Amino acid sequence: MESESQKNIVEKILRIRLSQMLINEDYKKNKFKIPIHLAFGHEAIATAVSQIMNKNDKLVLSHRNIAYNLARIGKLKPILDAYYLKPGGLVNGKTGSMNLTNVEKGIIYSSSILGNNFSVSTGIAMGEKIRSQEGITIVLGGDGAIEEGSFHESLLMLKSLELSAIVIIENNEWSMATKISERRHSINLEKFAEVYDIKYVKMSGNNPIQYIEKLNSLKQFSLKEKTPVLIEVMVTTIGEWILTTPEFPDGKLINYHAGPAPTVDLEKNTAKIIDDVSDPIFVLEKQVGSKKIEEITKTVLKELNSEIK
Amino acid sequence: MKYIEYVNEQIKNTVKDPENLVLFGQNISTGSCLAGLTKGLSVNPTSKIINSTNSENSLCGFGFGLMLNGVSSVFFMKQLDFLLLGIDHLVNTYNNIRSTITNPKSSFTIMPIIVDGGYQGPQSSLNNFADFCSIARIPGYTISTKAEAKKLISTKLISPGFRIIGVSARLFKEEIINVPIIYENTDSSLIQYSNGVNVTIVCFNLSFPIGWNILQNLKKDNIKSSIFNITALTPINWKEILENVRETKKIIIIDDSKSQNLACENLINFLHDNCDIQKKIILKRKIQNNWLHPVSDEMVIDYQKIKDGLQIA
Repeated sequence: MESESQKNIVEKILRIRLSQMLINEDYKKNKFKIPIHLAFGHEAIATAVSQIMNKNDKLVLSHRNIAYNLARIGKLKPILDAYYLKPGGLVNGKTGSMNLTNVEKGIIYSSSILGNNFSVSTGIAMGEKIRSQEGITIVLGGDGAIEEGSFHESLLMLKSLELSAIVIIENNEWSMATKISERRHSINLEKFAEVYDIKYVKMSGNNPIQYIEKLNSLKQFSLKEKTPVLIEVMVTTIGEWILTTPEFPDGKLINYHAGPAPTVDLEKNTAKIIDDVSDPIFVLEKQVGSKKIEEITKTVLKELNSEIK
Repeated sequence: MKYIEYVNEQIKNTVKDPENLVLFGQNISTGSCLAGLTKGLSVNPTSKIINSTNSENSLCGFGFGLMLNGVSSVFFMKQLDFLLLGIDHLVNTYNNIRSTITNPKSSFTIMPIIVDGGYQGPQSSLNNFADFCSIARIPGYTISTKAEAKKLISTKLISPGFRIIGVSARLFKEEIINVPIIYENTDSSLIQYSNGVNVTIVCFNLSFPIGWNILQNLKKDNIKSSIFNITALTPINWKEILENVRETKKIIIIDDSKSQNLACENLINFLHDNCDIQKKIILKRKIQNNWLHPVSDEMVIDYQKIKDGLQIA
């Protein structure tokens, strides 16, 4: 990838991260009336999905849609205003966070109900086929949503109706406050996809350039073969903290699900939160160097502060 | 003409020409075609008939997805009971869509068969159409007469927005009641078929044939009845019925739903608050101990008792 394009991707990812950090600062001060599900750690896949989208493509999201909404619009203020329920915000401030959409940017449905959006995306994909549109439908869900019957039903329908769609499962290994291993038997998505003769790809490592290349290739495959593809992308939803109580004097791990992330601090941290590949900013540092990241961070943060002033 | 033949004819006429229309549901183009409901459907070459998977929840979401992408569709459903699996979409998806799209360009209609013929046993006999509409204030319409079949299917089946249109399995093989409409409100949710000065009859859910029989029997005794059918359940403006009851001062209300909460209670409360009623007869199901077993779902009506109860000389 050309360095200018790479710089562009780095800037986009940092913009999503820093936008979330600014929202988190307001959230910690209890400024929002609505619940917000932050997505620290989801920035690389969100940026990659946004990068492969063309004018006719449709994106269908879940309650944790913030990174994708930020990626598609490239601004903070319309989303922040939507969270403050201001008429000037996205969708005139009428949806709150979990159902936030942006039709102009291809986000035509977001659902707060686990698994609800899979079948809606199936109808959207059918609409593309009926109207002979060239677009692909991309739907996001989590590892909790794949426990819902609608996941199975929708894959079956997508395959049976020969629809082009990319089904992306963000696997963060948690459903609310419960780890997968605490809740259920593991689900082998590769075998699950094989049952329906659906192509399965697993992605991890938060390398945005690799993600874009892979997604582009799968998009072309899906459009050409008129078949859904299933992608499992490993993510870490960053923002956990240790809670000390009389019952747990040594502290108990509280994974991040929703609400403010108390350990993420814009004053103390740089954009990077964790020193390993679970943090997309760490991956960017390895690619372009920490000095470059610091430089872009300063510029983007200045722009964002100016935008929301 | 039989009820199902006429309903099927109206559906065929309505779906044959529109472009980019999707008709879907289980067995809608094979076998009995849902006992004749979807028999012989043909569509424009740009449209599609999908003999779908057995995935009621996802099929509801599918219809809303089509609607979001500008494509109109009809989901034909073998039993109202199956729609229980799609309630998430009826409430959450529908609320989500209508909260942001005030003027939809495309249509999504679910057309379930309400299995009210009896002898189904503990499952497959849900007849409470009003409940589905009430939970999310969904426009809903039941078809009881020839005039309603023509009007509701031609104007509602493929009309921008979402609604449910229910048909009665009990009536499928009956001759369709052919009586002209003398009044209907703007959305055809309240329809009047007769204007009489002695008593007002109001029918809910799929009880119109019962009400029509009562009217015919009372007529033999020279008792003149007004009769209204409530085809849609939420919301309803009761003004026309109120004015009629103020004149007759007597009312017979019939609701054949098996729910504990009945749609007719909304009217009863309204009338009590707004007019003087001299006689009120409410005909609703008496739930027996065997109601979960295969028994007849027919409501038994004692016409003489009704006539005596009205105390019309």
